[in-house]
Amino acid sequence: MTAKALKACAAAIVVATTFSLASASADEIVIGASLPLSGPLAGFGSFQQWGYKRAVDEVNKAGGIEVNGKKEMVKLIIRDDKTDPNATASNTETLLSRDGAVAMLGSCTPALVNAGALVAERAKKPLVTGCDPLEAFKSVRNWKWVWDIFFDEPELANAELKAVQDWGAKTNMKLAIWHDNGPDGQVVGGKLWPEVAKSFGYEVVQNAEFPVDNTQFTSIIGEAKSKDADVVLVDAITPQAIAIRKQMAAEGYTPKVLNIEKGAEPVQFAEALGKLSDGVLVGGYWDPSFPYPGAADLSKAFESETKLSSSQHIADSYAAAQVLLDAIAAAGSTDAGKINAALAKTNKTYVVGPVKFDENHTAKLPIVALQWQGGKTVIVWPKSEKTGDFLFPLP
Amino acid sequence: MPDLGVASSSIVSGVLLGGMLALAALGLSIVLGVMRLVNLAHGDFLLVGAYAGFFFFTFTGVDPLLGLPVIALFVAALAIPVYRYLLQPLAERGAEAQMMTMFAIAIILENVFVLAFSADTRSIGVSYAALPLTLGPVTVPLVYVIGFAISLVAILAVHWLVARTAFGRDLRASAADAEAAATIGVDVNRVRMLTFALGVACAGIGGTLIGTAFQFSPSSGGAYLLNSLAIVVLGGLGNVLGTLFGGLALGALQSVGGLALGDGYRDLVGMALFLLVLAFRPEGFARGRR
Repeated sequence: MTAKALKACAAAIVVATTFSLASASADEIVIGASLPLSGPLAGFGSFQQWGYKRAVDEVNKAGGIEVNGKKEMVKLIIRDDKTDPNATASNTETLLSRDGAVAMLGSCTPALVNAGALVAERAKKPLVTGCDPLEAFKSVRNWKWVWDIFFDEPELANAELKAVQDWGAKTNMKLAIWHDNGPDGQVVGGKLWPEVAKSFGYEVVQNAEFPVDNTQFTSIIGEAKSKDADVVLVDAITPQAIAIRKQMAAEGYTPKVLNIEKGAEPVQFAEALGKLSDGVLVGGYWDPSFPYPGAADLSKAFESETKLSSSQHIADSYAAAQVLLDAIAAAGSTDAGKINAALAKTNKTYVVGPVKFDENHTAKLPIVALQWQGGKTVIVWPKSEKTGDFLFPLP
Repeated sequence: MPDLGVASSSIVSGVLLGGMLALAALGLSIVLGVMRLVNLAHGDFLLVGAYAGFFFFTFTGVDPLLGLPVIALFVAALAIPVYRYLLQPLAERGAEAQMMTMFAIAIILENVFVLAFSADTRSIGVSYAALPLTLGPVTVPLVYVIGFAISLVAILAVHWLVARTAFGRDLRASAADAEAAATIGVDVNRVRMLTFALGVACAGIGGTLIGTAFQFSPSSGGAYLLNSLAIVVLGGLGNVLGTLFGGLALGALQSVGGLALGDGYRDLVGMALFLLVLAFRPEGFARGRR
């Protein structure tokens, strides 16, 4: 091939690329999201995908969003990050630079969300997430372009022990903590739970840390059993949560209270474990019974569409997408700076409750204690919001 | 220091688990020994066995361990066209071409699992998977004992097949010198195809055992491939009983590592051992008949 032909090809590629980007931005507003649709966190990603898509579909059904005086449809592009932070970062880069996304929606858990958020921050494009515990989010940096709507770890760390206390459940006050070494695992299990447990009068007889891909917990479980811990607090992702619960039973260890944060959230936890999931506590920030607009309808819509049990992740993702879409509408522009400024002014009640960002770019969701009972979660704390009685001790 | 009960339970559990994983590793070992092929899709064939066990139990209600012969045949049947149409045509192009083919198959299988079964984590929910077995101060999961016993029987059966049958004689001849074996009338291609199917069937049975004792998802295959490689290196390439020994040793040493450093360091111990053996005793610890 001659140099002339090569130049012609290169020019054609540049023209084609420019045309495709230009046509995308001229006809529609592109929003990107990198989600864990495969890998260990796929149980979160599938719900988030549904929530993001629903919010965008609703806006498009209503005619789109008016920008620069013209109604435009919203196009949501989702890429699978396979639960790999490196993939989240590269997906975010691709969505912003090649797909022409004007703003981003976040992945799930601090490791993934923060990886994408740092790319968005560097590119000066807004990113809204609904799945990154606030302390882990705030610990990374002073965010300028990234906004987080989720629960605060200190409140989560208190919830289950308050539930035990308020229901008058008697234990020997010996407590074991097992947590992964991810950002939120270290915050919750390494720092907050030991302090909270002591403040409730518990003796912390074990604090064990493990990598996020660990599958064997024989020694950890054996030690807690030998130390007679009646209360076990676990922070682990879903595959580990399933492994831990199964291995506990197989080693003949049944504490009176078992709380598994993060990993016990998705319904696949209960599906994989069957009756072994009964009695397991997990912190929650949303339930269809919450008195917020559209809460009950959202759950019903999910279940009728997918024939699956709903998860609280449909609500955080739906709300995060709505917050971003509202900000684009308020900005009346796809200019990143204007959208970011509109996000800062967010002050509205969504399906997860009131959302108003503070100076750290965080909006805190209230925490409840959920408990798996018969394959579904019920609220057991606060008692004023309970949808079921506390199952004690762990069956 | 952990107390005696914790230490002894942990080490016995590790040995039982190592024995269970040895069966899956045996599949990798015999394929490596006869075909000189590192089957990079081995972990994913193991998952085929886990999913087969899961759906066998879900739809029939029959204990998947009773269905192991059917599952083994099913997984082996999948392996035959893979060998016939993808590996055999590449036989003359060196080990790299076949290895890359298996790498591609691993990626395809993982994506097929996601598309067909979703990315959810699953576990085969038989009742005894959550029961303990206590003997004095030692408490181990009952399913480890059952899995170990099945694995032991299967490994001894493969050993008998390799050491005592005409197929085993052909297999050993093909492994030692394929060209020489061909000159004395051994159908090396057929031997390789059946060896590949046997190796994949071992992975499939191992997958059902692992799916019963633990949990699995479409992306779990890689971790089991690494574990299997460590066992193969410890036990010696193509050495059937050595693989069992490698599994037991790896399980015990990982448990000691877990007790001393924490459960999170089990894999570190396994991989460190893998590198040490590769560096100082690449033929593996076990010697003797293959």
